[in-house]
Amino acid sequence: MPQFLFHFAQAHNDFRLPELESIAELLGISLSWPSEFEYRDTARPFMILGLDQEEHARLLARRCILIKAVYEFYAQGSTYEELHGSNRRNQTLWKRYVENTSFRFLVTSSQHKIPQMRQREVIESFAYMGFLGKIDMKNPEIILTCFEEYDDRHGTTRAKHEGDGQFREVFFGRLLEEGSARQLIAKFDVKKRAYFGNTSMEAEISLLMANQTQASPGKLIYDPFIGTGSMSYPTSHFGAFVIGSDIDGRQMRGKQKTPGVIRAANQYGTAARIIDLATFDITRNPWRCGELFDSIVTDPPYGVRAGAKRLGRKKELPDYKKDLCLQHTLNGRPDDQPYIPPTKPYELSHLAADLVLLARYLLKPNGRLVFFLPTVTDEYEEVDIHTMLCEGMEVIANSLQDFGSWGRRLVTIKKTTQGKYSPPTFEPTREETARIPAHRDFREKYFQGFKPKADET
Amino acid sequence: MVRLITHNLLACHAKDCNTNNFPLAFKDAQLEIREAEFNPEFLKGFLPKIEWTALVDTARQLGDTSLPLEQPEMLDDEFLKNLHHVLLEIHVEEGSMTCPNCGHVYPISNGIPNMLLAEHEIG
Ligand SMILES: C[S@@+](CC[C@H](N)C(=O)[O-])C[C@H]1O[C@@H](n2cnc3c(N)ncnc32)[C@H](O)[C@@H]1O
Ligand SMILES: [Zn+2]
Repeated sequence: MPQFLFHFAQAHNDFRLPELESIAELLGISLSWPSEFEYRDTARPFMILGLDQEEHARLLARRCILIKAVYEFYAQGSTYEELHGSNRRNQTLWKRYVENTSFRFLVTSSQHKIPQMRQREVIESFAYMGFLGKIDMKNPEIILTCFEEYDDRHGTTRAKHEGDGQFREVFFGRLLEEGSARQLIAKFDVKKRAYFGNTSMEAEISLLMANQTQASPGKLIYDPFIGTGSMSYPTSHFGAFVIGSDIDGRQMRGKQKTPGVIRAANQYGTAARIIDLATFDITRNPWRCGELFDSIVTDPPYGVRAGAKRLGRKKELPDYKKDLCLQHTLNGRPDDQPYIPPTKPYELSHLAADLVLLARYLLKPNGRLVFFLPTVTDEYEEVDIHTMLCEGMEVIANSLQDFGSWGRRLVTIKKTTQGKYSPPTFEPTREETARIPAHRDFREKYFQGFKPKADET
Repeated sequence: MVRLITHNLLACHAKDCNTNNFPLAFKDAQLEIREAEFNPEFLKGFLPKIEWTALVDTARQLGDTSLPLEQPEMLDDEFLKNLHHVLLEIHVEEGSMTCPNCGHVYPISNGIPNMLLAEHEIG
């Protein structure tokens, strides 16, 4: 299998492999991962992957948000001596460019600046390749790049050129394509959007979520907590149709006549793909049947900015009050003051388990549920996600976005069953599982700064 | 919005309203026609989910008679184009939807239906 050198953005490392896998599967591309663990380490910016053909590397670079560039792989080494040895052995890959191809040669690095002098030395050390074509800095037919990989300095600045040459590894290849999907991060910048709110999801994460859903033309994708619609924009941009709902219509509407979500979608040219928006409590939903959606993508209310609510009351009302409420409800109301029913809190761990059950009902077979689960980092164990699974639903990716004292996990669950299931009952009373998931009472822990309670220490 | 594809998927969900609760009847519907991209594969894939009679009846009530009473076996281009128009291009912007069984009224404003239930309607 031909080898390709991938250069990744040093961001959201935990999302990198799930994104690649999702998009490779969507595009029907088979990927072979590096066999040694140290080359699968996502803290490193480079990875060498096997693909059937060059075109596949290009397609991935046009869709994966975390790809900076893709190269035809020629050589690697922990020293230049090793690199040149490996490059000589791979001569068949670059021989065809020797005779008559204009080229440009780049020596660069991650996390470091290589002095001009040494860049020139490095270029000269490749003289044995004997390229006869002309050097063209503006419009070369090919760009050859030599990358030195330095260890991450974790924000500490090193004096200029300090440690130059003490790289971890060096890679060499021919540039195929810069990753063009990264530009979408600026395109979907929340602050430049016609409509957004304090629950809006940042552009880069929304795009990564859209890729986890494998959004593409002809698919129908649902967000049951759509709010201001952040994930509907990238998913519809990738061609999918979107349906959204929310218990609070104001989140989707904003203040003007045309709903805010539609105004924002108009800005991105995808309003026609926002099939519908509807106001309802997901625990009291009007869906007539199941197996409707290819994916469900959502950021459930986890109580920091927008707490989870559901219809109902914390305490039952006495009968006479119920009667008053009923009269009030049934009597006509002016149109501009829609009836707003009472709501009660909705515990996150219940919500998460309900969401998986609902997704099993509403997804087509092989459909995906992509959602965030906040978690208190220190208490998190793998088991948390498994406490909310049910038969026929399997976790296929689980990526941490780390905020220090807390974090959230983007979980991708696939419906692996063809079975028919009835809609979930959303009963609050369920058998308590042996371990209390760390996301239980997340809101309380968040506001306590995640410190153990006094009586627990 | 509300498009007929969505209307075809929504049933009344008030407490104990389980039979004859579909399709919801449009009232005072204000329509808008907006072009949508034609995707025959999507339509073919979605067809098995559609309650055909409900779709045809609703379309007729809204003044579109392009769909046959019986769902055809042959999905030719003309049929798919009509289906596309009915499912995706007719938008109900204002009005309401009424449950044929319990009479609950779901109001629509600026294209968004309010499907919330009142306190006495939840189980
Ligand atoms: C974290 S926000 C989602 C934000 C959204 N991704 C955005 O871009 O704005 C959660 C949303 O869930 C809604 N919500 C809370 N409880 C709900 C329920 N029981 N059913 C439906 N929506 C609910 C809230 O109104 C809120 O808009
Ligand atoms: Zn009803």
